[in-house]
Amino acid sequence: MKKQLGFLVDARRCIGCFTCAMACKNQYHQPPGLVWRYVHPLKEEVFPHRERAFLTLACNHCERPTCLEVCPVSAYTKRSEDGVVVHHQKKCIGCGNCIRSCPYGAPKYNPALKKAEKCSLCWQRLDDGLKPACVQGCPTGAIDLIDTATFDAPDTLQYIAGFPRFPNLNPSIRFRPPRQPLEIRR
Amino acid sequence: MNNMELSLVLFTVLSQAAVGLTVMAALRQWNVSPDEGTAVMSREWLIAGVVLAVALVISLFHLGHPLGSPRTIVNLGTSWLSREVLGFGLFGGILAATWALSTKDNHTVGSLGKVTALVGMAALVASGMVYAPPSFPALNNGLPVLFYLLTAVILGAAFSSYFAAAEYQPLLTRILVAGLVVGLVLNLVLPSVWLAGGRVMQMTGDAYYGSGIYWVRIVAEFGVALAVLGIARRIPVWLPVMLLFGELIGRIMVFTHVVHTASNIGGIY
Repeated sequence: MKKQLGFLVDARRCIGCFTCAMACKNQYHQPPGLVWRYVHPLKEEVFPHRERAFLTLACNHCERPTCLEVCPVSAYTKRSEDGVVVHHQKKCIGCGNCIRSCPYGAPKYNPALKKAEKCSLCWQRLDDGLKPACVQGCPTGAIDLIDTATFDAPDTLQYIAGFPRFPNLNPSIRFRPPRQPLEIRR
Repeated sequence: MNNMELSLVLFTVLSQAAVGLTVMAALRQWNVSPDEGTAVMSREWLIAGVVLAVALVISLFHLGHPLGSPRTIVNLGTSWLSREVLGFGLFGGILAATWALSTKDNHTVGSLGKVTALVGMAALVASGMVYAPPSFPALNNGLPVLFYLLTAVILGAAFSSYFAAAEYQPLLTRILVAGLVVGLVLNLVLPSVWLAGGRVMQMTGDAYYGSGIYWVRIVAEFGVALAVLGIARRIPVWLPVMLLFGELIGRIMVFTHVVHTASNIGGIY
């Protein structure tokens, strides 16, 4: 099976501190208000507890990416060696079609550059043998880099409550669901 | 709504009006009456071309880098946007040729007029598919194409009444009434269908039924127009302009009220 890198998001460990999003920002210096990674709190309808749980999400580097299919100027490519979906800024004309079309909301509009951009899975760092900035920055080890082609942890899921299900895209992400809080009675 | 979306609202509605005009002109070309000579048809092709040209220029304003627009046809293999650009480019070219010929020989335009209308319809279908991505479950189907065809029929029949001879006015009125009835039923029923879908579709249905401009459009574009057409049995000169505003409101709603999947991450789908 072909190598396909992606993220493992461990909702048991995530404390919603946004360090991953800030680590990404420190690496790429996006303009104010723009983030490639965001930490989404699970809503009460999904996780009805006083304790909270979070999903940290960026681009899912899908097996069949919508952004790549809809881009009229072919500004997206998928690397054959690891499946990372790369956005090429020089080709982008800022039509916004990828931003509208990605069901996970991964591509964002950069008003300073008037172009789209998104998480690149830090492919330059990967090529240097480093981990992505978010993975390295997370203080609780809630994000990890995995090869979804070989990853097979029985306590993980591809689709978790609170995450949209799009089998045709086959997002390269796995989740370890949050643990239900322990109820202590007096 | 931002400026990029406003540009797309104007582009889609105006380009569909241009396609609608050419379809109605092509229909009437089958049997051009003695009263409706070359000059009248020629003017109609010209106006359709001008409307399309205005739409295409406006469409450039939604691009961060408009000078890169010539490269938008490089991904024809998978991108409906590339196909839309190519489609409207071809449509514009053939429309210009049709107009040029219509100033000389009306009989030559006959078959070319039908080809122009068919190419325009193909471009319109490609345009509809651009707005049917997986990120909008309410539109991730054939609905955008249907919306766009309806806009073309309604605006095409309405504005064609400015050019058609008196003997064709009843035909255009009947086509407009049919388009408005289908539009009314579709727009009334659709939010209910969305309310029966998943959470994001339900949010879209709620947004539509809870919107004031949705009800203004239902009453003004469909209710008032059908009542006027029922009483007058012809298309009054002011009605096409009112219908244009109605279609613009409808398109603004598509861009502002249809909910994106990502907006509910963390909730139930």
